[in-house]
Amino acid sequence: MTREARTEGGPRFGGDGARPEAEAGVGARGALAFMRRLREGLEAGVELPEALARGAAGLPRGARERVAAAVRRLEGEYQEDEWGFDEEFADLVEPFFGFLYDRWWRVTATGLGNVPSHGRALLVANHAGILPWDGTMIAMSILRGHPLPRHPRFLVLNWAFDLPWISTVLRKVGGVVASPYNALRLLEQDHLVAVFPEGVKGAGKDFKDRYRLQRFGRGGFVEIALRTRAPLVPTAVVGSEEIYPKVGELPLLSRLFGAPYFPVTPTFPLLGPLGAVPLPSRWRIEFCEPIDTSEYGPDAAADRGLVFELSERVRETIQQKVYENLVARGPAFL
Amino acid sequence: MAGRRVLITGVGSYVGSCLARSLERDPGFEYVAGLDTRKPARDLERTDLIEADIRNAVISKLIPNTGVDTVVHNQIVRRPGPGMSPRAMHDINVIGSLQLLAACEKSDSVRTIVIRGSAGVYGSEPHAPQFFDEEMTRLFPPRTRFQRDVAEIENYFETYSRRHPGVTCTMLRYQPAIGPSLDSQITRYLSLPVVPTYLGFDPRLQLIHEDDALDALVAAVHKPVRGAVNVAGEGTVGLTRMVRLAGRPTLPVVPALFGPTAGVAKRLGLLDFSEDFRRLLRHGRGVDTTRLRETVGFHPRHSTVSAVQDYSRKQGGRRIAPVLRQVMAR
Repeated sequence: MTREARTEGGPRFGGDGARPEAEAGVGARGALAFMRRLREGLEAGVELPEALARGAAGLPRGARERVAAAVRRLEGEYQEDEWGFDEEFADLVEPFFGFLYDRWWRVTATGLGNVPSHGRALLVANHAGILPWDGTMIAMSILRGHPLPRHPRFLVLNWAFDLPWISTVLRKVGGVVASPYNALRLLEQDHLVAVFPEGVKGAGKDFKDRYRLQRFGRGGFVEIALRTRAPLVPTAVVGSEEIYPKVGELPLLSRLFGAPYFPVTPTFPLLGPLGAVPLPSRWRIEFCEPIDTSEYGPDAAADRGLVFELSERVRETIQQKVYENLVARGPAFL
Repeated sequence: MAGRRVLITGVGSYVGSCLARSLERDPGFEYVAGLDTRKPARDLERTDLIEADIRNAVISKLIPNTGVDTVVHNQIVRRPGPGMSPRAMHDINVIGSLQLLAACEKSDSVRTIVIRGSAGVYGSEPHAPQFFDEEMTRLFPPRTRFQRDVAEIENYFETYSRRHPGVTCTMLRYQPAIGPSLDSQITRYLSLPVVPTYLGFDPRLQLIHEDDALDALVAAVHKPVRGAVNVAGEGTVGLTRMVRLAGRPTLPVVPALFGPTAGVAKRLGLLDFSEDFRRLLRHGRGVDTTRLRETVGFHPRHSTVSAVQDYSRKQGGRRIAPVLRQVMAR
């Protein structure tokens, strides 16, 4: 808030040479005035949101808008849909994911035209990198590069919802528990849904197995696509394998935390929380040609042969595109 | 055709007495009986009050004499009242339901049973699908005593309706109700001066407004359907958002300390969270209400969010927590 006051507002006085100090002075004074009004308000027996609003009256405009938004959220006046998706929150954290997208992982996204701009669709992607960063980057690529951007919803490994904060942030940015019921309901509501059929097997695989797609579960995602007649969009992600090169596991600790795996990487748990910072590999995301499922009809979901055939087709497409993009990317970290 | 004859258990509660009042004003009902040991919360005109304990076998003699064709079972306790032990709550819920069914076995006239059950039967689970539909009761093992009780009650009624194909049993699975006139766990929780939450958790809750809770019961009495029906307002609300809408400050508590803290607060007489409610505060729960809307044909007027807003609007006059006042009065 203070920084906001410094950069955007306040009368400018003094010569160029004296500006930094003067501006800092204005900022500090603005903050002081804000705190004074806030305290006066609270002492006068006003509730916190009201007191904050009064305090904000003394601030420059940019900061005032920020405070107004914060007060509104404090009063609970914001929207969440029935899944708990909070668009305002998603916009708020966008700069962070944008930084990861542009600067940290330097993502190149191709084939965005294959993502339908409206109506239901199921994005099927390969999964890697311990934490669901790949899901957030797929979302960013659609928000950044798609002509009609929209927030995809993604099915996240269940145990992430046991974790404090992570569970809250996930649901606010569009994550749901990986359950077929959720996928069905989301698709029936014409959402864009991302799934990772490899699940834990993909996210927790060793570094030496990188970019080798694991088994695609039992093909549940194909059944869902068939039942809802949603097109399948195979999506290949390259780069996520290098962010946490997993060299081993500590099964004892994973049992302690109830997590499916407790990874050991060159930096984790050696460096503690710092080891959770993902390595800055270069990423590529390719959305492939959609597979139309409407021609089979919803009854085809019970046809095991067809389900396996489609599942295998999607898997092979992704595997092939992963190899192509690996070649196109070149060295992992440059 | 003669009007319907209805018996309401738990008529002493707010919803029970409102239901009795609504049915006695309906000319389609020629006889309304209310069973409870408590006095009704509202004044009733022509309801025949039967003062008996539902746990007692004597109701097997009383109910057949009334000749009712419809039984509304509204005595499933979600929150132990003052001076009620968990044991007594279990007895009322399970033994009470059994005695009621025994009484229904004895009376030939019963054609419809509507039960005000609980969506607690699904549990509160971090890995649960975001919306339970009526078929999903067995996705997770029951984890709390109340959940086991509700599952057991549902089992009894299911068995009963299988034995008596002529009787329609409607099991209404209610999400927690909220409203200015109600004294429920959720309203108690929201009237605390500082509302404790689990640090780092902000689950989705789904609620039903007290008016809709009553109207859903009336709708089910008018149009009973076989089997379970979820009853809840549309949409969900994040716990933090709900507390903020109610104008309360939150106090995030480290999950490991939440149970002990609640225990201490219980001993001080400040609050009493059931294990069920604690799980709800940590993991939340949502249900699918398609069946309520399409089969029963009931559309709740309030969504979850508007129910909370209505509650906090009507509560606005007395922001100072009643609980705090109680403590001060001691």
